[in-house]
Amino acid sequence: MFLSLMGVDGHVSQGPWFASVLTLKTSAPLRAEPKKKKKVDPRREQMVRERLKKKLKKLERVPPELIPIEDFTTPAKYMDETRVRGAPQLPFEESERRALLLKEWSRYKQTQHRAEMEAVGLAVEAQREALEELRLESEELYQAALRPDPLLFPFNHQGPSYTPPKAQYEAPEGKYNNITKVYTQ
Amino acid sequence: MAAPCSRMANRPLWRFITNVRRTGLKHTGVRQISLSSACRAATQTRSKTEGVPSPWKLYGAVCLQRLPVISQERNPIEDQFAELMHQMELERSLLSDHEQRLLEDSERMTRKQADNYDSDEEEADYGGQETITAQDQEDTWEQKLKHFQPALRDRDVGGTPLGSVERCLGDSLVLLVQQTVGKETIWLLPQAQWEAGETLRQTAERGLSSLPEADFKATFLGNTPCGVYRYTFPKEVRTERCVGAKVFFFKAFLSAGSASQKEPFLWVKKTELQRYLKPPYLEKVDRFILNL
Repeated sequence: MFLSLMGVDGHVSQGPWFASVLTLKTSAPLRAEPKKKKKVDPRREQMVRERLKKKLKKLERVPPELIPIEDFTTPAKYMDETRVRGAPQLPFEESERRALLLKEWSRYKQTQHRAEMEAVGLAVEAQREALEELRLESEELYQAALRPDPLLFPFNHQGPSYTPPKAQYEAPEGKYNNITKVYTQ
Repeated sequence: MAAPCSRMANRPLWRFITNVRRTGLKHTGVRQISLSSACRAATQTRSKTEGVPSPWKLYGAVCLQRLPVISQERNPIEDQFAELMHQMELERSLLSDHEQRLLEDSERMTRKQADNYDSDEEEADYGGQETITAQDQEDTWEQKLKHFQPALRDRDVGGTPLGSVERCLGDSLVLLVQQTVGKETIWLLPQAQWEAGETLRQTAERGLSSLPEADFKATFLGNTPCGVYRYTFPKEVRTERCVGAKVFFFKAFLSAGSASQKEPFLWVKKTELQRYLKPPYLEKVDRFILNL
């Protein structure tokens, strides 16, 4: 069988697809001329990349969604019509009483305001006189009095409450569930 | 009295000149004075009279106020107005959840008592739960309120002594002490005599801290005095050098402190000041104690 395969030289050649191990295996495509690299290619790839980047930037340029202020939107359950209270029919005496009371209140507040303004005016006048007298006394004390006090501010004071504070009262620590909605832009 | 008069006349002129030179000082009474020959003469005489001290003794006093701890009671008109406002707000408002529930419950009751009542239909809607009507809840809440005893607002019902800081929690109180001035012991705002080398505010602070058996922690409101009281000594005491005294008052708020009951302290409201202070003193002090 091997004798029939052997050619004249004695080499084993089983056709053009079966070369010997010693020779370089070459195929038709391998034996063709080398491909010329087109110089436009890297530039073309770059252009493609730039176009993609521009598209991405356009998409990102959308302005951030504004955080809604929940106090400004009336909840839907208050727009319900069944909740409307009937308008009261006030008798004449009642409306008269209300009008007179409002006028008296404005008069009361006016006198209160005038008294306050007067009191403040007197206090300012007293301070001015004090500074005058101090000036007549000695200039350096006067200058020391005019200097601002850096330790005064920030000034904190607990205002009056409805009930007086309990002596040695320890407020109990409580648990709470914070359900505020947190928005991210 | 020629020397003091001329000194008094010269000093303001010199002061105003130095004022004009110094910038950054805002004083309402500054007048633009041109340097004329008269002013130059004044400066010369002023330099001679620099060494003579003034004939007035200086004192620094402190007007220590305890601010109100609770809010004041309402006037009758304030009461009426508050009620009116509440009523008007109620009329203009929408029905709350609780009121809606009351309405629904009353409607359901009327439907139950009607002739064509279909209980199966009703209970299908509400899932057959045991319903507690809103009216029942209201009744239970009212019962609980009746049993609740709120604490007294003003603990002054028994009449705390005048020396205690706890009296009249709704008003601002001023501290008065008894000190010997000259020959008499009188009630006045705590004061101390000025010593050289300290500002008047430090004098006032010293006056407060030197009160026997009392430690008050106060915040002074600035370096400026709020008032002045000037008085001349009686003729026996008057000398060439000291004609009288000037007391400069400084305002302060009480932050913490205590005093023993033995020492003569008084915490008084503005309306009660006249019982303790002398009339001319009271006149000056009354102006800067604000009852707001």
